[in-house]
Amino acid sequence: MWEQKGRDPAMTTDDASSQSQANSLTNMKNGLNESFPEPMTTTQIFSWRTQGSPSDHVTLGHEVSVPGPDLATKESKQTSSQSVTSVQYKLLLPGASGTSVETTVSLDRVVEVELTCILDKKYSHLKSFQVIWKRGNDTISHTNKTDNSWSINVTVSDSSKLGSYSCTLKGEQQLSGIFHLQVPKIGRKEKPTITYLGDTAVMNCECPGYTAISWTWYMTNGSKQITINESLLADKYVISKKSANITQLKILKLTKEDDGEYWCEAAFELGKSKGKLELKVLSFMVPLKPFVAIVIEVIVLVALIVAYEVYSKKKEKCAEAEKEFDQIEHLKSEDSGLESSRARQRRI
Amino acid sequence: MPPPANARRAPGPPDGGWGWVGGFGAFISIGFAYAFPKGVAIFFKEIQDFFGTSYSEVAWVSSIMLATTYGAGPISSILVNRYGSRPVVMFGGLLCGIGMVSAAFCTSIMQLYICVGFITGLGLALNLQPSVIMIGKYFLKRRPIANGLAMAGSPVMLCTLAPLNQFLLDSFGWRGSFLILGAILMNCCVAGALFRPIGPGTASVKTLVPEEGKDALKQEVTEGAMEMSSPMNRPMRNKTEEDEERDCCEKINQYLDFSLFKHRGFLIYLIGNVLMFLGFFAPIIFLAPYAKHIGIDEYSAAFLLSILAIVDIVARPTTGIIANSKWVRPRIQYFFSFSIAFNGTCHLLCPLASSYAGLIVYSIFFGLAFGMVCAMLFETLMDLVGAVRFTSAVGLVTIAECCTILLGPPIGGTLIDTFGDYKYMFIKCGVVMVLAGTFLFIMNYYNYRMLAKEEKERKAKEEDPKSVRTETEGRNNWTKETTQDGPELELLRAEQEGLKKEANGTSEV
Repeated sequence: MWEQKGRDPAMTTDDASSQSQANSLTNMKNGLNESFPEPMTTTQIFSWRTQGSPSDHVTLGHEVSVPGPDLATKESKQTSSQSVTSVQYKLLLPGASGTSVETTVSLDRVVEVELTCILDKKYSHLKSFQVIWKRGNDTISHTNKTDNSWSINVTVSDSSKLGSYSCTLKGEQQLSGIFHLQVPKIGRKEKPTITYLGDTAVMNCECPGYTAISWTWYMTNGSKQITINESLLADKYVISKKSANITQLKILKLTKEDDGEYWCEAAFELGKSKGKLELKVLSFMVPLKPFVAIVIEVIVLVALIVAYEVYSKKKEKCAEAEKEFDQIEHLKSEDSGLESSRARQRRI
Repeated sequence: MPPPANARRAPGPPDGGWGWVGGFGAFISIGFAYAFPKGVAIFFKEIQDFFGTSYSEVAWVSSIMLATTYGAGPISSILVNRYGSRPVVMFGGLLCGIGMVSAAFCTSIMQLYICVGFITGLGLALNLQPSVIMIGKYFLKRRPIANGLAMAGSPVMLCTLAPLNQFLLDSFGWRGSFLILGAILMNCCVAGALFRPIGPGTASVKTLVPEEGKDALKQEVTEGAMEMSSPMNRPMRNKTEEDEERDCCEKINQYLDFSLFKHRGFLIYLIGNVLMFLGFFAPIIFLAPYAKHIGIDEYSAAFLLSILAIVDIVARPTTGIIANSKWVRPRIQYFFSFSIAFNGTCHLLCPLASSYAGLIVYSIFFGLAFGMVCAMLFETLMDLVGAVRFTSAVGLVTIAECCTILLGPPIGGTLIDTFGDYKYMFIKCGVVMVLAGTFLFIMNYYNYRMLAKEEKERKAKEEDPKSVRTETEGRNNWTKETTQDGPELELLRAEQEGLKKEANGTSEV
């Protein structure tokens, strides 16, 4: 069991490796209601399940070593003097596939990043090897933190500093780890939003945990992308910022032309990121057809049941009338016999 | 010459034949009534985004619906007492349909509360109670089986509704889905059409049959009075009632039998069940969040609920069959108390399950216990008060349960929030249910002993040859005794006595 203790809104790590599974943590303050994931985008990912047992978890602000080769841990420290945060990211080598492991680091603002590659103790038998840090084709000088870990410091001040940074251990075996530094991806809604003519469409875009400087909405018209401003059609589009990381586009009085793809673009300090939404506008005839079909089925069934009941009652009445007639005859003849038997029963 | 004994003994509940068709109708009705409030939760995300409300505001829709379904029980009972089951269910289905169709055109969350919460909830209430009442009318000997099968409608419908709702949401959005769901709910009208009323048809046969003896006639007429829930027989009783002052109370009792509050068995059931519901639903609601909390992913957590539902589907008819066996049926109240206590024990042991495998085991046992309790929920009430008064009893019980049903989950949630740990919620639910089970067990033991004593006294009076009772006196005694006796056992025993008399008759002739 663990608890969220003070979220650092700046960073989180995504593990792109296929082997780990992401769990979403439910905020226990909402324990009253069934927890649902945040709309559309990825929920804050704080823990990784390793080999089926939820025993070790990562909490922000603590360094925890996680068993398993393909996981990254992170640590953050607030430097008191500057507003620039310093973050550390570590990768444990080797990866599950045997040679390389990757991780994605999402950054939305200017930071100082320290990337460290740690060699797993199991491989400490490897003696002579060379450690090279590269970004693309450029080699970066690194520092030996400890006997089996090497790190580099990168000041990510603009988008040019983003990219893939790799550490390679060349020796008997070649092991490598890659850090992908990029702007946060905006979660995309897989399924289209379905609305109806004349109705209002509400679309939300969010990047949980990051602060976007500004948001822009685009609409795809054919091949062109049109920016949606409120000035475009004043009473048609309403863009509102629901909170620091959620933006909302409301489209009023929907028409068939509003059907299509919409893009929300978040501008961060370090670049831009887009998320795609799809809007479908249906006419009310679409659900009306199944509705009418089911109502007709109900009416038909009720009519059949009532008809069957009337029919079977008629049959019963005819049969009963005959039986009653027979019974009356029978009973009339038995009346005298019954009196005597009743008297006998009373005596007993 | 064999006396026409068969003709003079009024046919009891069919216990078969059209009864099973009526049971199928009850299956559908009950299924919708219980599963729909849970199934509609699938739309909450969309609605929350659309109206820009918080999750708890949207969750009120479900709560209002559930509250109305249970709280409108007395209204349902009154209407059934007045008009019979069939028109009430058909009207309920229509009301549900209207509610959901109007919900498709709502423009605010308050309108949703009214359309989905109140109107549909009321419609579902008019479905639930009459369906349960119909089981009591159609079945006697096989009633536990019928109850178990009909109550199995709830998990089956839930398993069907959940993916159906998801599919509708993906294809039509929430508005279109509500429209189509309105049409689907109207199928309750079909279920209602299957509830053929019984009673008036057989009355005509009885009147032609001559009397074999005063006892036989008393049996016949009272059995007829028990079957026919319409107030047609009661005015007869009113006229014979010499105490005029009680006429207005009688009139109210015609519609809703408040004299049930003097019924020992009813009170025991009421107190026990109201206590039980305090811890009944909370574990289901919090099972998935608890699973996610200890680190299980969403899909596996949802799978736990599926396991629960599947075990539930199997458990309910099985419990019905077990409860119908000759060893359990006379002591069905003990079986019910045992299943409640078993349920509570499961919850108490749940905090020990900290792994996924442990939770699966818990889900299986929980599904089993849940199914057992639900299958016998109404059967035990019918057993205590009898089919005639059950109509009013079920209404009074559901409105009392309504409060604790609604209180249970929020109390659990508060416990979770305060202590930050789910185990206290499970412990609370477990303790409450074990208490309820023990209470019911002890009180029913006492009740069974009192019933046995009263039965002995009644038999002693009957054997007295000097008491030549008039029709009315006999009926008055019968009705007085039925306030305290379990009339079900009476009916079953009366049948046996009738058989004995037949045997005497034939040996004589």
